[in-house]
Amino acid sequence: MVKTQHNASHMVEYGEPVGIIAAQSVGEPGTQMILRSFHLAGIESTISTSGLPRIIELVDAKKKPSTPVTYIYLESRINKSFEKSEELLKKINEVRMSGIAKRVLENFSKGMIKVVLDRQELEVEGLTAKQIASKINKELDLDADVKEGNIIISTHTKNLKEIRAASIKIMKMLVSGIDGAGRGTIRRDEKTGEFYLVSGGSNIDGIMGIDGVDKKRTTTNDIFAIYRLFGIEGARNALVFELKKTLKEQKISVDERHLDLIADAMTSMGTIKGVGRHGLSGEKKSVFARAAYEETMKHLIHAAAFGEIDSMRGVTENILVGKQMPIGTGSVKLAIKKEDLAKIKPKQ
Amino acid sequence: MPSTDHILVPEHELMSDKEIKELLKDLDIVPENLPKILESDPQAVKLGAKPGNIIKIERRDGKISYPYYRIVIEG
Repeated sequence: MVKTQHNASHMVEYGEPVGIIAAQSVGEPGTQMILRSFHLAGIESTISTSGLPRIIELVDAKKKPSTPVTYIYLESRINKSFEKSEELLKKINEVRMSGIAKRVLENFSKGMIKVVLDRQELEVEGLTAKQIASKINKELDLDADVKEGNIIISTHTKNLKEIRAASIKIMKMLVSGIDGAGRGTIRRDEKTGEFYLVSGGSNIDGIMGIDGVDKKRTTTNDIFAIYRLFGIEGARNALVFELKKTLKEQKISVDERHLDLIADAMTSMGTIKGVGRHGLSGEKKSVFARAAYEETMKHLIHAAAFGEIDSMRGVTENILVGKQMPIGTGSVKLAIKKEDLAKIKPKQ
Repeated sequence: MPSTDHILVPEHELMSDKEIKELLKDLDIVPENLPKILESDPQAVKLGAKPGNIIKIERRDGKISYPYYRIVIEG
């Protein structure tokens, strides 16, 4: 498929076991990665999973990354100014009531909850007590009032359980920002001088809805979020990008074509499939290939019960039975044309 | 509907019957051999693709670009 761009001599030979070569090329440096794990202390505000654990996460097609990170790029009218970027960050930063409350006092005899607010936190987030009180009124359907800078909520009940439930609800309430977006920091791109945001959350859908966010460039390390929003090709490219980035962080150089092939194989069915038992290896057509990998008895019994047929076209199953495997010269078979057969005369 | 335009997504294009015929002849394959794309995929929805259609994807790899093909399947 690549022949129009590349010289024919650069192309892979027919029968080359590209998958095996890719697996070995990634696997060998992978063994070094366990021993060498280093961190840049202090610089990163969100320490994301790196090294071998991250590679495993990617090739196993985990639904959620263990440390989601969203890179939020801003529109050109905002991204040159630090103040404007900061303003936008405040819209995204997830602030919950528990983060801005100093103390919560529950008065069970009067059925009141008093929330003592942390003035400094309020100032940092750019919020006022009034805004919060009206938010409680609207979202939780409670009567909230501001008294001396603190919030007094009357629950209209003297039931201990209900008051406690209400106070828990209040503490969990989202005061500002986007649900699940986490807290972000502002970074500056050294090359272009533009500001962008890095947030430790994964709610890219919500972030995309904010005015001023560059929807074309904002990205995340959550492959499945990319898949949902932009489809399989976007997910494939995100997967390659993440694999390359993780290997580069560890100063390991693997030819990118191996990573391309892995990503292509994982996305070839239209959805993202891991490489393991529940993915590519577990869904091979050949019974023997599956049985040779994991859960041998399960596959053999299933094959026996349902009369599965193994066409013996793959590598694994042919090694298993001791036949020549169909790679390299082994992938060529000799045949004779019917009309030529007639020409052959038996020896006298 | 949210925008499906993104730097990660290469250009998708629906192929005509004539182009499909040429492609299958050129590569000497049947459509089932091609990689798949779901009908519900945001890019397939955007093109209005139906199962059996083939989508040509202009992949970029640095400075060069090359075509990649996916057949639309149900799902």
